[in-house]
Amino acid sequence: MAKRLSAEERRATIITVAKRLFAHTGFHGVSIDDIVSEVGVSPAILYRHFESKEELYQAVLQEFSATRESYIEAVVADDIGFEQVLRGMTTVFVSSIINHPDMLKMEMHSQLDDSSASQDFFLNRWKSFTDYIEFSLNELQALGKIKPINAQAAALMYQGMIREVLILKCMQQSDRLKDTPIALLVDEIITLFMKIVEPVR
Amino acid sequence: MSFDAELDAKGLNCPLPILRAKKAIGALTSGQVLKIVATDPGSVKDFEAFCKQTGNELLSSAEAGGAFEFMIKKS
Repeated sequence: MAKRLSAEERRATIITVAKRLFAHTGFHGVSIDDIVSEVGVSPAILYRHFESKEELYQAVLQEFSATRESYIEAVVADDIGFEQVLRGMTTVFVSSIINHPDMLKMEMHSQLDDSSASQDFFLNRWKSFTDYIEFSLNELQALGKIKPINAQAAALMYQGMIREVLILKCMQQSDRLKDTPIALLVDEIITLFMKIVEPVR
Repeated sequence: MSFDAELDAKGLNCPLPILRAKKAIGALTSGQVLKIVATDPGSVKDFEAFCKQTGNELLSSAEAGGAFEFMIKKS
């Protein structure tokens, strides 16, 4: 006979199943009935842990925040420049998506959902990059180290490129890119990106 | 608690508060204290990790009114 789960284990199981379903069909594509039938419990048990589907969705996002990327190692080394930090951060971010592709799927769905909470959640994850790029490029320009550049547009460009690679490689397993490892692709994209950041000689 | 320099990192996401702090600490002499105010909730763990890795001392870490305040003593 299956072991009875503790309340904590039950809650964790519900979150795990919900995460997979939300990633697959988005917030609106999943009903409480879908979740309980997959978990194998009654709706009453689910409602004991989560008041609503919204609350369950938030719990899934919470779990993602708990596994949030740490960029510390990428930035503490001495005499490290803009490009090295960007490469380090990107490596950390890309590996986390490779390990949690459901996060990317939920992000894509959140673009269509009318929930500002989930949109903000995912936007905030990219904000590490956009903040870093905007702030650093503006600072480097102010110091006269690089030629004038629109830092905001550059940050957006970077986010768009990296997100597209992740979509193609982690979600769609695109044929077009199947022979190119993701790390190499990301590396080349950063190299291309750095060409728009022109040092003043 | 007294401090020798202050860094406003409000509204910035990791790793920027860390990078700014690293730079600000670089300008201090050993034993001086930097106060940092940040709003990114992740900054709590980040500054703990930062101090562990760099050997600087995290004197305090507190939350007040949606902001996080850190005091770091340069090693």
